[in-house]
Amino acid sequence: MLVEFELIRRAQQGDSEAFNKVVLAYRKRVLGTVGRLIARTEDVEDVAQEVFLRLYFSLDQLRAPEVFEPWLYRLTVNAAYDYLRKHRRRPEYRMSDLTEQQVMMADAAAGGRVERDASQQRKVREAVDSLLGAVSEADRILLLMKEVEGLSLRELEKIYRVKENALKVRLFRARQRVLKAFEAAEQKRQNG
Amino acid sequence: MQGSGSSDEELDSLLRAYREESPDPEPGAGFMPGLWRRIESRQRAVLSFDRMVRGFVTAAAALAIAIGAYVALPRTAPPVSGESYLEALAEANTLDTPENVGPVRLDLNEPSR
Repeated sequence: MLVEFELIRRAQQGDSEAFNKVVLAYRKRVLGTVGRLIARTEDVEDVAQEVFLRLYFSLDQLRAPEVFEPWLYRLTVNAAYDYLRKHRRRPEYRMSDLTEQQVMMADAAAGGRVERDASQQRKVREAVDSLLGAVSEADRILLLMKEVEGLSLRELEKIYRVKENALKVRLFRARQRVLKAFEAAEQKRQNG
Repeated sequence: MQGSGSSDEELDSLLRAYREESPDPEPGAGFMPGLWRRIESRQRAVLSFDRMVRGFVTAAAALAIAIGAYVALPRTAPPVSGESYLEALAEANTLDTPENVGPVRLDLNEPSR
C-alpha cells in the first residue's frame, strides 16, 4: 500500500484533502498502467482522471481499506476497457504484418541483446502492441495485467472476481495465441 | 526459432523489455486541477438532476392532492328519484289519463265503410 488505511478511511468519509493525498500517491502508477493498457499516450491523462473520478464517486462502496488497491486496479481496468471499446482504432495487424526491422527489434529485445535508444524503445513497444493484437481487448488487458504489470493470479482473482482456474485457462489461451503470432513472425523472418 | 519452450522464454523477455520501455509517466501540471474540475462538474450534474427529481416529485404530489380534493368535494347532484324505471314509466303514462280511459264514443249515424 502506498498510503495508510486511515487516509483511505478519511477519504471514504468525504475528506477532500485525504482524497487528494490518495490521488497524489497513486496517480503515477495509474498513469503507467493506463498507458500500457490503452497504448495511446495522448489519452492517458484523460483515462487516468476518469479512474480517479470513478474512485471519488464510488469510494463509499469500498467495504474495507485493505482491499483498496485491487479496487483501484478494477476501476483502472474498467476505465481502460471502456476507452478501448469506444475508440476501436487499435491496430489489428499481427506480428506477421510487421516490417522486417520491427521483427528484428522484437527478436533482439526478446533476447536482451540490444542497447535501446528512444526510437528503438518505440519500436519494441510497437512490436509488442502489434503482437497483442492477436487477442481480444479483454484478453489483452488480462495478459498485460499478469505479464507486464506483474500481478499474481490471486490479485487478478480479486480484481476480476473470477475463480483462479478460470483465469489460468483464459491466460493460457491468450498467451498461446500471442506465442503463435510471435512464432509465425519469427518463421517469416527466417524464411525471408 | 528452436522449440515452443524457447519461444516462451523469448516472449517473456520481450514482455519484460516492454515493461522496461514503458515506465510510469510523470503526471502533467494540469492533472490535479483537471481532475477536481471534472469532480465538481459531475457533482453539479448530480445536484441538478437531484433538484429536477425533487421538483418532479413535488409537482406529482401537488397534482395528486389536487385530484384527491376535486374528487372528494361534495357536489350538487340532480335529485334522485327513489322510483324504479317501471314505476316512473307508469307514472308518466297512467291508465287514469282521459285519452286512455275515457268512454268510447260511437256515432251510429256515421255511415259504415
